[in-house]
Amino acid sequence: MSARSGLIAFIFVVLVAMHFTLRPILDWRAGVDFLVIAVLVVAVRVRPGTAAAAGFALGLVSDTLTPEALGAGALAMTIVGFAASRLKAAFFAENFALNAVFVFIGKVAFDVVFVLAERRLGGVSLLAQLFIWTPLAALLTAFVGLIVMALVRPTLERRRR
Amino acid sequence: MPRGARTDSRTDTVIAVACVLAALLLLILPAAARDRSAGVIRGTVVAPLAALQQRASLARRAFVEHDSLVQIADSIVRRSQRLDEVTAENARLRGLLSLGRALRWGFVPAEALVGRGMGDDHTLVLSAGARAGVERLSAVVAPDGLVGMVEQVDAKTSIAITWPHPDFRVSATSADGAAFGIVTAHQAAGAEGYLLELRGVPFRAQLRAGTPIISSGLGGIYPRGIMIGTVMEELRSTAGWARTYLLRPAVRPSDITSVMILSPERNADGVASVWSPAIDALTHKVVTAGDSVAKRP
Repeated sequence: MSARSGLIAFIFVVLVAMHFTLRPILDWRAGVDFLVIAVLVVAVRVRPGTAAAAGFALGLVSDTLTPEALGAGALAMTIVGFAASRLKAAFFAENFALNAVFVFIGKVAFDVVFVLAERRLGGVSLLAQLFIWTPLAALLTAFVGLIVMALVRPTLERRRR
Repeated sequence: MPRGARTDSRTDTVIAVACVLAALLLLILPAAARDRSAGVIRGTVVAPLAALQQRASLARRAFVEHDSLVQIADSIVRRSQRLDEVTAENARLRGLLSLGRALRWGFVPAEALVGRGMGDDHTLVLSAGARAGVERLSAVVAPDGLVGMVEQVDAKTSIAITWPHPDFRVSATSADGAAFGIVTAHQAAGAEGYLLELRGVPFRAQLRAGTPIISSGLGGIYPRGIMIGTVMEELRSTAGWARTYLLRPAVRPSDITSVMILSPERNADGVASVWSPAIDALTHKVVTAGDSVAKRP
């Protein structure tokens, strides 16, 4: 494993750990989704198949803690990982604003697939989730994702050179 | 597109489709199988993450509930601090109710109105006066025994001298009537100033420590049978014909909050039966202790 891959793995682990520590401590209704950021960070640097597998694994991990939705998170994360890896050329430019939009769309896509797949919410609750809480959570996730990328990118660029 | 790249792309798609199918399969699993699968993953791969999440949740709860927990702890401490006071007050009130039941008639209940401070340790302002039927020179008693005597009577209040007062005198006797004397305040500095003396006891009458001393009924102010105190020790006699004993008073000044003022009619009828159970118990104790000492080899 190269130093660059090791660094990406380290960032991935840190983000996953933050998801299971910082998120419960904050306990916001529209919380930051560190798992989506982790999948996106990995997805733009690996092949789509690997990104899909990583997304599936991470989604499954989060699903086990809410067993009624087992598979929903895995499905959503697989799609987000695969799509992000496919679209990285289009989105992952040097532009930070585009990165933020990328994370925002990733989080919205994840929530939409997850909520529809788990079939727990319906009616007004579903609409409130998709049109109020999901955009708010996506905004926060995009903001945090931007910070993560701003921190990570210089190090990764230095190592690439 | 080069052939290698096309193959890679196909592999990626196959992996992605396999992942999607696996996820869909998990979604349509029966609840029992789904729970079992989740349990297996939770117990192995996810266990450290689940533990992390649990600790984070606990940390958050501790942080959020800290203030309310501190408030609860404070109120519990405050309540426990007041508990002794409330228990003592409860015991005093129960004692007063028992005294009222035992006396049945001829008394006026009263509260000690002012806190006793420097200079007024020997007097007591009572919440009952002439309108309630209180008369001068009436005996003032508490559940444990004699408190003092009413010295001044106003319309709504009255002032009583308590037993530490230098002018306090009561004719007293031992419960068996073997020894007679006059009880006065023990004139000493410090804590000993809150003891009593039984003076003028005939030299032939010797009292053991713990012997209960009651009012004799002579003098017309205090009826016979009010508990005054118990013998602590004999003081050095100043004259050769009489003994003086130091008494532990039955009523402590700090416990005087609610009292009963006996009417002159009640004095005439006597109150011997009111304190007789306590007096009998004390007498029995003294006799038993004496017997035990006598039986020792």
